Formats: sequence, structure tokens, C-alpha cells
Amino acid sequence: MTNLVVRNSIRFLFLVFFQVLILNHINLGGYANPYLYVYFILLLPFATPRWLLLVLAFALGISIDVFTNTPGLNAAATVLMAFFRPYVIRAISREPEEELGIQPSLKGRGFEWFFFYSASLVGIHHLALFYLEIFRFTEFFQTLLRVVLSSLFTLAMIFLSELLFYPGRMQRR
Amino acid sequence: MRNLYLFFRKHYYIFLFLLLEVVSLIFFFHYNQFQNAAMYNWTSSVSGSINAMFYEIAEYFALQRTNFILSQENAILRGRMPEALYMTDTAIYTRSDSLLQTEYRFINAWVISNTTNRRNNYLMINKGSLQGVEPHMGVIFGNKLVGQVVSVSRHFSWVLSMLHKESKISAKFLKNNQLVSVEWPGGDYRKGFVREIPKHIRVLPGDTIVTSGNSEVFPNGILIGVIDQVREQPDENFNTATLTFLTDFNSLGYVEVVVDLFREEKVQLKGSFQEL
Repeated sequence: MTNLVVRNSIRFLFLVFFQVLILNHINLGGYANPYLYVYFILLLPFATPRWLLLVLAFALGISIDVFTNTPGLNAAATVLMAFFRPYVIRAISREPEEELGIQPSLKGRGFEWFFFYSASLVGIHHLALFYLEIFRFTEFFQTLLRVVLSSLFTLAMIFLSELLFYPGRMQRR
Repeated sequence: MRNLYLFFRKHYYIFLFLLLEVVSLIFFFHYNQFQNAAMYNWTSSVSGSINAMFYEIAEYFALQRTNFILSQENAILRGRMPEALYMTDTAIYTRSDSLLQTEYRFINAWVISNTTNRRNNYLMINKGSLQGVEPHMGVIFGNKLVGQVVSVSRHFSWVLSMLHKESKISAKFLKNNQLVSVEWPGGDYRKGFVREIPKHIRVLPGDTIVTSGNSEVFPNGILIGVIDQVREQPDENFNTATLTFLTDFNSLGYVEVVVDLFREEKVQLKGSFQEL
């Protein structure tokens, strides 16, 4: 239990600093930029109380906002994403929640499960983030392109991190 | 009463979600509306010191390039000396010792945080109200346009980059002083967009666009970009064009904040005119 709290706290700090010091400066072709910090929300244990999930999402978003001069923008998107997390988990899992394991992972849940899980939540986050930032529909398709490319970029980084930091044989399901 | 309590208890997740979401959105819209919100200044100094620490380290890797840019800037600045001065032609009518009076002063600053990948980009610089930086002041890089200060804390300032949807710069053609306006359409940080080009003006790729000096933000003649491609608009009154920015927004180092010493006077005069 304490171990989980410590590991998640370190992950929180690491992802915030990684995001604001490095990833915020990455920009492919003017369109795609990764928002890996949402990985923190994806990896929270299954047993995280729902209120804590929302509060952590808010804290995470605000921490990013402080560094990017966009108060509320990342917070709004991250809280929205966290809100949907329990519903997404319930929708794509065949087992009851108690049998899912400690935390979501590529290795533990298999490729298909983890892909749908991360893709839908990252998609929600990026949609909210980019459209809220623009807040007008005149650049609708250009923004959509940014959402898609950035989501792919973020997902690629998430899968890479899964393979790097949680190596081992993938479970077949 | 008890039922109400049970109702909230049962659906607390949704209510907590709505609460946090509304708080975030209030922050977001409030700040978008009042760019100078005083409540936000504290974060500017907290995140400022962390950003500054990181950039101080990163600075060492760019020393050689910085030197090069500095010497280049020196040359440009020296060439600009007469232009930083305001001609007082009172000399024609009266005896006066001063032919020239300083109109612009420049505060040099170091960029400690900068993005180019968002739709709305900001920079943070390491000079603030202590050094005399105020909101509305222009920021330039060498003789090239960067943006406009929107909020200041004691030691740091946030600058609204040219790469922002609210940036609309009053500009002109260097060759014939025709007024146009420049915006950034998003996407590539090297490409801008020129609006309101009068139809009768012959525009060629390679024409230089500079600031007009009509706003109280930038002096006359700060370089913005070079025309890329002209787009004829048959059913409208004005043509548009794309331009390539001369500023490399992705590699800003030392910048200068433009202090217009006559700003108050200009604003007052404009204001008095509008009241008529």
C-alpha cells in the first residue's frame, strides 16, 4: 500500500517535470506534440477511490498549467479524462473489477485491452485540450488533425514506456 | 432533507466531477478574459524560478551561438541608432539645442520559457516590474518582432507571442508603406498570414513586411517577415498572402523589451480624439 503511494507520487512528479521541461518543447511538423503526463492517470491502481481519482487529475492538470501559463486548461481536460476512466474500464473488461489486478498495464491486461483503454482516454483528453484551447470552430479540421496526430504521438510514448519500464512476457488473453 | 443527502451521496462522483470541471473552466475563461489577472502573478514567480534554473543550465550549451547572435545584434543595433531617436522639428521654428530626443528605450532580457507548438503560445522572460517592464510593451529579437508583454511579476514577465490567435500586428510593406495586418493561422511556426492587402498594390514574393509603428507597442520598421505567396481574393475587397517570419521563434535567446517613452502621450491623444 505505502509502496504504491510512493511509486505513484514519484511518477506524478517525474511526469510533470518531464512534461514541462522536455515534452512541451517537442513539436513535430507544427502539429504533433505529446502530452505524456496523462500516463499518470492511466496507471493509477484499479482500487483508487473515485473521488481521489478526480482530485489527483485536477492537481496534475493545475501543476502543468502553472508552467504553461494556461490556468484551468490542462486541469479541465485531465479531470474530464479521469471522470471517464471507471466507465471505460467497466466497458472493456470482461472480468469483474476485483479480478483485474493492481493497476492497468500492457503486460497484465494484454495489448487489445490496454490499447482501447489508453486510446479512448488519451483521445478524450486531447480532444478537450485542443478544442478548449482554440475555443472556436473556424479551424475545426486543422484542430482535429492536431488532436489525431498528437494522440498517436502520446500513445506511442505510452506504449514505449510500458515496454521499457514494465518488461516481461505479455499475457495472452 | 435526508433524501437530498442520500441523493448527493449516491451521485457524489458526478457532483465532484462537475465541481472540479467548473472550477477549471472558471480559471480558464477568467484568465482568458483578463490577461493581466493579478491573482496569477504568484504562479509566474514560482514557475519562473524553476524554468529559470533549467534554462540557466541549458544556456551553457548555446554559448557559442549566443555570442554569434549577440555580435549580430550589436551590428544591427548600431545601424539602428538614429531610428531609435525621435526628431523634434521644433528646431525649425525656435532655437533649440536638442535636435533629437529619445523615444524608445530597450530593456534586454533572456527568454526562460518558450513554446511554438500550441495554438496560443507564450514566452516568459527574466525581467519584470522591478526592471521597468509593463504590460503592453513590445518584445523584439534583434530587429525582429517577437510579441507583446501581457503580465508582469516582480522578476518575470509573460509575453504573448506573435504565435497566438489574439496577435494581430499592424504592419506595412517596406517598399511603399502600404498598411496591412499580420496574423498567425496556427500550424507551422514559420508561416504567418497577411490580411487587408489593397487590391491595387502589386505584391511580389520576397517583399518585406515591417511593423507600421501605428500602435504604441512597436517602433516603426521592426522586421516581421517576407511574403511567400499571394492569394488573390476575387470576391473580396482585399487580397491576402502568406509570409515567412524572419524571427526564428523556436530559438529565441536574448530579446529586448521596447519601452515607448511617449506611450502615455500617444494613448492620451488617441483617447481624447475618440471622445469627440
